[in-house]
Amino acid sequence: MVECTLILTPAASGFFLGQSPPGKPEIIKCRSPEKETFTCWWKPGADGGLPTSYTLTYHKEGETLTHECPDYKTGGPNSCYFNKKHTSIWTIYIITINATNQMGSCSSDPRYVDVTYIVEPDPPVNLTLELKQPEDKKPYLWMRWFPPTLVDVRSGWLTLQYEIRLKPEKSAEWEIHFAGQQTQFKILSLYPGQKYLVQVRCKPDHGFWSEWSPESSIQIPNDFTMKDSTVWIFVAVLSAVFCLIMVWAVALKGYSMVSCILPPVPGPKIKGFDTHLLEKGKSEELLSALGCQEFPPTSDCEDLLVEFLEVDDSEDQQLMPAHSKEHPGQGMKPTHLDPDSDSGRGSCDSPSLLSEKCEEPRANPSTFQTPEGIEKPENPPKNVTHTWDPQSTSLEGKIPYFHVDGSKSSTWPLPQPPNQHNFRSSYHNIADICQLATGAAGASATLLDKTDKHAFKSSKTIETGAEGKAAEQREVESFPSKTDQDRAWLPPQEKTPFLSVKALDYVEIHKVNKDGALSLLPKQKENSDQTEKPSTPETSKEYAKVSQVTDNNILVLTQDPRAPNLALFEEQAKEAPPSLPQNQAQIDLASFTAPPGNCRLQLGGLDYLDPAGFMHSFQ
Amino acid sequence: MLRAMGRDKASLDRMTFDNLTGSLLLLLLLVSDLLLCKSVASLPICPSGAVNCQVSLRELFDRAVILSHYIHNLSSEMFNEFDKRYAQGRGFVTKAINSCHTSSLSTPEDKEQAQQIHHEDLLNLILRVLRSWNDPLYHLVSEVRGMQEAPEAILSKAIEIEEQNRRLLEGMEKIVGQVQPRIKENEVYSVWSGLPSLQMADEDSRLFAFYNLLHCLRRDSHKIDNYLKLLKCRIVYDSNC
Repeated sequence: MVECTLILTPAASGFFLGQSPPGKPEIIKCRSPEKETFTCWWKPGADGGLPTSYTLTYHKEGETLTHECPDYKTGGPNSCYFNKKHTSIWTIYIITINATNQMGSCSSDPRYVDVTYIVEPDPPVNLTLELKQPEDKKPYLWMRWFPPTLVDVRSGWLTLQYEIRLKPEKSAEWEIHFAGQQTQFKILSLYPGQKYLVQVRCKPDHGFWSEWSPESSIQIPNDFTMKDSTVWIFVAVLSAVFCLIMVWAVALKGYSMVSCILPPVPGPKIKGFDTHLLEKGKSEELLSALGCQEFPPTSDCEDLLVEFLEVDDSEDQQLMPAHSKEHPGQGMKPTHLDPDSDSGRGSCDSPSLLSEKCEEPRANPSTFQTPEGIEKPENPPKNVTHTWDPQSTSLEGKIPYFHVDGSKSSTWPLPQPPNQHNFRSSYHNIADICQLATGAAGASATLLDKTDKHAFKSSKTIETGAEGKAAEQREVESFPSKTDQDRAWLPPQEKTPFLSVKALDYVEIHKVNKDGALSLLPKQKENSDQTEKPSTPETSKEYAKVSQVTDNNILVLTQDPRAPNLALFEEQAKEAPPSLPQNQAQIDLASFTAPPGNCRLQLGGLDYLDPAGFMHSFQ
Repeated sequence: MLRAMGRDKASLDRMTFDNLTGSLLLLLLLVSDLLLCKSVASLPICPSGAVNCQVSLRELFDRAVILSHYIHNLSSEMFNEFDKRYAQGRGFVTKAINSCHTSSLSTPEDKEQAQQIHHEDLLNLILRVLRSWNDPLYHLVSEVRGMQEAPEAILSKAIEIEEQNRRLLEGMEKIVGQVQPRIKENEVYSVWSGLPSLQMADEDSRLFAFYNLLHCLRRDSHKIDNYLKLLKCRIVYDSNC
């Protein structure tokens, strides 16, 4: 900022009259219409009450001489016009305005001007409009103009671009069209019967737009028909074709598209939960199926994590979504198996507790356990018609085993002839054991079950023949089965005198010792056994011997008054490695040691067995 | 038995549907192009280095003018952005006086001088100016990159200008080869020595060096553009553009 200098002349008497030096002038703008001359305009400051004169001084880039404005007139008041001689392109002018009056003078700030960048031409001239209506073509409005007179376009010194605008006379908005470097233009879409106004302007290649030219007008006649429907016909045809193709594609792929957008919701699935069993009402099997899982899972359980899924396309597919990955790969199971396509099919290849599985050929014969120190009964009671000698039997011999039959009541199975053995059910579950325990009447038996690898599996209801049967305690042979399954079975208990006296009596579980031996007691009749009560503890029978197994798989038990520590159901350690299933067995036994009341509840109220029925079949 | 592996069937269907849609759209585009677009005259382009390629002078000039016009637009934008962003209130404009390295080249300063100069001399002058800017443009790009918070707009324009300048130089050498093949001028150009100024530690001095460089670039690119348009109208259209 250049300060205005206050030069007080000696004759500055006007100071006392309120007069002052001039205010600071200011250069408004500088423009060149053709890049050959230019003009600068300034705005004067306050004149200070005195006539003020203004001068423009400048110097050019690279020069030291200061020049004054050559022409103050051509550009109008407060202007300076630089003609061609004084104009240099690509050169910076440093221009200053000086205002001087009697009191003093003031200078404006210097302005740096390069003519290259201040080019603003005049508007185009001679704009003409013409309506043309050729015979076989559409009518149009044709306009043409000429570049401004000062601009030298022919030599290429300036290159102009044009823009036109038009509107109906009464309309408020202009329709602008860019015309490029051409000096003519055609307008096609016009409303007949209207009067149109047209203007044009131009711009140099690196400069400012000119002002709009004066308006030219033209009247469109009423018969000026415009048809422009070709484009619409084309658009309509194209969209029709497109719609047809879309409809066709949707029709073809509609279903898969919908299934992409809205995938089917998979139904909930609980592992081991068999709805088929639920429908049948076999709650025992259902719950047993849930307890199937052995812990920790064997390597077979890795089948649960297969990448792809084979869906069994049988009628049992109601619960399986096609793409579920949690479900194990299903092998080719016979259709008679449980429709539950989940792990209930036993993908872990663990001993399934489902009854149907027990009917498969892979259900192995029971293994017999040789109890330690068990003496073979030498003389079975007389009333035991069928003595069971495990040693004399074959592998498939008279092996008492428990199997759960859902339709039967819980009874002890009777010893069966060897050839009648049906090794369908190899396993028990806790429910069955409970049934065994609570069902035994009149005899106390020790149930010892130590499974090696496999849990108890409920196969059939176990019928026990309790008192009344001379169930002998037998040695148990271990049968190395294919799967090394163990059998839990009740050793028969002898209770000869008791049996001979009463035709019908019951056993109840007295206790279960830590070895898992089930100690059964004959149920004491309230009225008649008062005297026998004290004797019963003394003669508390730890074991019950299996006297025989009938063909109905009913186990006839007799009470064995001998050494109570005979653990009949010990598994042969060498036969089966006690491993995980032993824990399972202990777990089972642990639940087994629940008070008999639980078992009663579980069994739905079946408390005692009537061995009278066995006696009949037995005899 | 159904067997689903890897992708499910739905995704495969979706893929084929996408392919179908893509081909449909392409077909529509082609049809619309054929019907709506006017034919565009394509200029034959000579691959660089092909000696026997005969490209008319008109097309060479047209292409050169397009390039020079584009380069000046970029330079002008770059200068304005730099001025707005870094040079406000610093009074650089008062110092950028007579500071371009190409001022030693005697270029015409108005239209009369430009029209009086012979076209061969003018062509050579253009070549000299173009060659004088090879080195500064290269360093401009590298130095702008190294600026703190390197402005992307300015950097991209600098890179573009450098590349287009090289192409324009090639085109000009072609034109010179056609217009005056017999004269082989030594490569004369102005040496630029402003690199140390661009690398100064003082920010104000360094920014002024950038400002000055961009100011001179804008001016010289305008000069080249103007001279080429003059030459085109004179040589190709016989002063009747």
